[in-house]
Amino acid sequence: MFFHIVLERNMQLHPRHFGRDLRPKLVSKLMKDVEGTCSGRHGFIVAITGVENVGNGLIRDGTGFVTFPVKYQCVVFRPFKGEILEAVVTMVNKMGFFAEAGPVQIFVSNHLIPDDMEFQSGDMPNYTTSDGSVKIQKESEVRLKIIGTRVDATEIFCIGTIKDDFLGVISDPTS
Amino acid sequence: MPRRDVDDDDDLEPEEDEQVYQDEEEDYDDYKSGRKRSRSQFIDDAAEEDEDEEEEEEDDDDDEDYGGGGRKAGAPKPKKRTSGSHFFDLEAQVDSDEDDEEDEGEDDFIVDNGADLPDDEDARRLHRRPLLPREDDQEDVEALERSIQARYARSSHTEYDEETTDVEQQALLPSVRDPKLWMVKCAIGHEREVAVCLMQKCIDRGPELQIRSAIALDHLKNYVYIEADKEAHVREACKGMRNIFTGSKILLVPIKEMTDVLAVESKAIELSRDTWVRMKIGTYKGDLAKVVDVDNVRQRVTVKLIPRIDLQALANKLEGREVPKKKTFTPPPRFMNVDEAREMHIRVERRRDPMTGDYFENINGMMFKDGFLYKTVSMKSISTQNIQPSFDELEKFRQPGENGDGDMASLSTLFANRKKGHFMKGDRVIVVKGDLKNLKGVVEKVEEDTVHIKPYDEGLPKTLAVSEKELCKYFEPGNHVKVVSGATEGATGMVVTVERHLVNIVSDTTKEVIQVFSDNVVESSEVTSGKTRIGDYELHDLVLLDNMSFGVIIRVENEAFQVLKGVHERPEVALVRLREIKYKIERKNSAQDRSRNIIAVKDVVKVLDGPSKGKQGPVEHIFKGILFIYDRHHLEHAGFICAKSQACMVVGGRANGDRNGDPTSRFALKPPNRVPPSPGRMPRGGHYNSGGRFGGGRGHNSLIGTSVRVRLGRYKGCKGIVKDVKGQTVRVELEAQMKDVTVNRDEIVDTITTATPSREQQRYGAGNETPMHPSRTPMHPYMTPMRDSGATPIHDGMRTPMRDRAWNPYTPMSPPRDNWEDGNPASWGTSPQYQPGSPPSRTYEAPTPGSGWANTPSGNYSEAGTPRDSSPAYANAPSPYLPSTPGGQPPMTPSSAYLPGTPGGQPMTPGGGGLDMMSPVVGGDHEGPWFLPNILVNLRRSADETSLGVVRELLPDGSCRVALGSSGNGETVTVFPNEVEAVVPRKSDKIKIMGGAYRGSTGKLIGIDGTDGIVKLDDTLDVKILDMVMLAKQA
Repeated sequence: MFFHIVLERNMQLHPRHFGRDLRPKLVSKLMKDVEGTCSGRHGFIVAITGVENVGNGLIRDGTGFVTFPVKYQCVVFRPFKGEILEAVVTMVNKMGFFAEAGPVQIFVSNHLIPDDMEFQSGDMPNYTTSDGSVKIQKESEVRLKIIGTRVDATEIFCIGTIKDDFLGVISDPTS
Repeated sequence: MPRRDVDDDDDLEPEEDEQVYQDEEEDYDDYKSGRKRSRSQFIDDAAEEDEDEEEEEEDDDDDEDYGGGGRKAGAPKPKKRTSGSHFFDLEAQVDSDEDDEEDEGEDDFIVDNGADLPDDEDARRLHRRPLLPREDDQEDVEALERSIQARYARSSHTEYDEETTDVEQQALLPSVRDPKLWMVKCAIGHEREVAVCLMQKCIDRGPELQIRSAIALDHLKNYVYIEADKEAHVREACKGMRNIFTGSKILLVPIKEMTDVLAVESKAIELSRDTWVRMKIGTYKGDLAKVVDVDNVRQRVTVKLIPRIDLQALANKLEGREVPKKKTFTPPPRFMNVDEAREMHIRVERRRDPMTGDYFENINGMMFKDGFLYKTVSMKSISTQNIQPSFDELEKFRQPGENGDGDMASLSTLFANRKKGHFMKGDRVIVVKGDLKNLKGVVEKVEEDTVHIKPYDEGLPKTLAVSEKELCKYFEPGNHVKVVSGATEGATGMVVTVERHLVNIVSDTTKEVIQVFSDNVVESSEVTSGKTRIGDYELHDLVLLDNMSFGVIIRVENEAFQVLKGVHERPEVALVRLREIKYKIERKNSAQDRSRNIIAVKDVVKVLDGPSKGKQGPVEHIFKGILFIYDRHHLEHAGFICAKSQACMVVGGRANGDRNGDPTSRFALKPPNRVPPSPGRMPRGGHYNSGGRFGGGRGHNSLIGTSVRVRLGRYKGCKGIVKDVKGQTVRVELEAQMKDVTVNRDEIVDTITTATPSREQQRYGAGNETPMHPSRTPMHPYMTPMRDSGATPIHDGMRTPMRDRAWNPYTPMSPPRDNWEDGNPASWGTSPQYQPGSPPSRTYEAPTPGSGWANTPSGNYSEAGTPRDSSPAYANAPSPYLPSTPGGQPPMTPSSAYLPGTPGGQPMTPGGGGLDMMSPVVGGDHEGPWFLPNILVNLRRSADETSLGVVRELLPDGSCRVALGSSGNGETVTVFPNEVEAVVPRKSDKIKIMGGAYRGSTGKLIGIDGTDGIVKLDDTLDVKILDMVMLAKQA
């Protein structure tokens, strides 16, 4: 789920950036530092949409760096248990398949793939129904439900299922 | 009761008689049942036995009926009643008597209140025995009972029929005032017999036998228990009996343990169907089996096994063929295939089991069903405790075609054996057995075997106490758990599915699905990376992978590694299993940074380019120009960053001076440098003085950069340059193939010249050795020419000098240092020798026309004499040769050490004259005139102008001084050997022999035969045939 929230961060800026475009520098550094990171609480920071407020800088003793508390608005993405997501399959193996929804990696175990879908090995490993009408392979888009998440400092890993109503392949790269 | 049946036959006797008879007989019965009772008090089957007894009693009654004329099923029993009541008074009285006695004697005897102690019994049996049981059957007895009970608050026989409650039993525990239990040794296998004998003895001897009971336990071999007040009573009772050993000590059973003695049976594990057990003995020892039927009475269990049957052997046996006896062979477990068996002509019967209605295949008396063997075994032959079937085993037990639910469900029976205390407060559990099945809850409190759970469902009491065995941990998909026991212990992951007691987990690290018992799993938020090693590979090792890619292990999991691959474009992490790793790269490499600074391991570098630009940290590994940098602020990939060396900058620029001490890294990097350092450093460091060629440590480095030839193996014959030395192997860069190969050090030979410098240093570095040479050398020169000139010079001359020149462009640096920088006496002595040997000296001496020659011999000589690798004790080996080396001589005169500096100025050492003749030999490859003084030569000063001259003197560098003119009267010039040519002698000319064994001799050419000349030697007058090339006209 995406959220638009306000976060705060202390930015350290090298003295050489001090000058007219201190603020743009600060913002670009903030973007560089923050976008794409992940926190357990908020999930992935997808994009910074604006800077609300830059506080007063504080010179660090000894280094000359200045610390600014920056409040910024950003879009974060955090998967939740029970959430329905659409994801792109990135890898298929006999254990199941991995899919990605943006920065989040989701694993769908073969236990959580409908029983009528069987693993077919080969060049392009895939899960196919017995009549061959539905096929999950790399690049397929699937709709899945998240049943568990694990949040690390740097990544969020989810386990999903497609063994439920209205879940499964939504677009097939081959067709 | 066998005796009874006999009695039944005699039933037609008069009633009176019968009565008496029966009295007696029942006496016996009763006596027996009394014994039984005494046991039954302790044993569960008390009731059963009582019933038996009643039945027997009824039989007795029937007997009586029969005797009375009517024995029919529905026959009324008035007579019996009368007969019963007839005895009643008597019986009642007797009974009371008995009770009296018992009250007196056994007031506190808990175990067997009504128990008829053999002695008492004996005394009274005539009166009361027959009647006592009978009263149970009779309605009228109630009145009597009431009266008895009124009189005696404690009735003896209520004890028989009623199930005593716990509390009552507590009160019945033995105390100090009760008779003791004594443990008496008896013959193994005769325990029961002993007990029965004791009983018989009681019957026979009556009250004088003062023991109360004798107990033989089935599970206790070699001992019987005897109950008595005193040890003496026991001894008395046992006196004169077979199979009982009173000689050994009679042990008193402590009061506390008395109950245990008889409680054992009840402790037996209750086996139920579907329990997993293991076979204890036989072919199936250790095999997992599943209980399908339990016969508690016969103590037998029917189990289901995967058969281990050798069909062939079975077929042989059935057909009566001779079977070779191979006891050791145990057939592997395999499902029985009936068709296969039929094919082998084994008779397979299909039978229906009358009890269960199932069909079994019967093969040679063995029952099979669905491929499983059904076997009935004794309970003793299976172990039921702590059975932990592995997944493999369980998997096998899944029947083909069955989805396994049934079997997996029976996993719950596993929990009967699980260790205690594995439930903890807060665990989510589900009830798997009993009425509350499928009830979910949270553990609130754990006591011994009882777990108090708080159910989720509403409308239930707050907490429920449930037996631990009925509970199973419960997880939901998505839970993050940790495996706490079993094969995958330590793994963490997320629950994918829960199938009853099995949980499928996606491992956090391997992203693979693991199946575990829910019992072995606890909920945990931890993500493990505890393990740091699998096999030979450890966290942060640099490893080469299957596909020749390489990377650093950044995480070790249970069965796989995460490897940060050595691609600098973007961080690429691969999941690698142990077998996919080829080997660990231990080589210490180095690389150049952007400004050509050398980067070695542990240097701090900063990444200037690429995805990880700006990161900084110490270099952990270098391989193929890729750096693995550890940045502890970098959270990803265990802090490792992969970058191209060219994209990095060593922090502190050229702060690598100290690394110069590590030639390995330098050489690997800059091959051109590889030679000079060794000679240069040799004397300075003084670390070659170990003398051993491949002596320890640093010594190896001397090999690096040398040119070698591979002597053996796949690359035999290839030449190359040593790039690295490690242990017993060297890496050689092949000249021809443009690749590095690793060869055993034993398999390489130095190719002569390039090797020289390194070899030299070692040789001379062996300082203690050098001083010896001078002293020895003088003697040798005279010998040498004879010996060596023939073989060596040619041999060497063929290749060396050229090579020397052509190959070592770097050498010039070394000699100066060598000679001048060091005050080390050893090197002083050696340096001159060294110099001529090492190419550098040549450059140094360049001014001397003949230097090209002079310097080579020493090197070549020793080279030829000592194939480098063949003698590990190289330092010693060369010594014999050394003196013979012409080049080796100058050192004798210390001054000569400096000579190279003065071109052409060397005064010859006295003996040197003759010796030096030899050195030109080396030049042999320049159509080698091995000049000697006093021979006539043609001088080619320019293209077409030649003049005659006489060789006057040979200079150690190979050039010679030639006096112009056919008689040598003209001016003296110094010429290079290639500018002169010996004048070919003609027949009858005086000649001088320039080579071979007779080198230096003079003689007369008496004839010419093709290329051979016939020479008559001057001193011996021998006639020799010598090659014309070796002959020169004497001046």
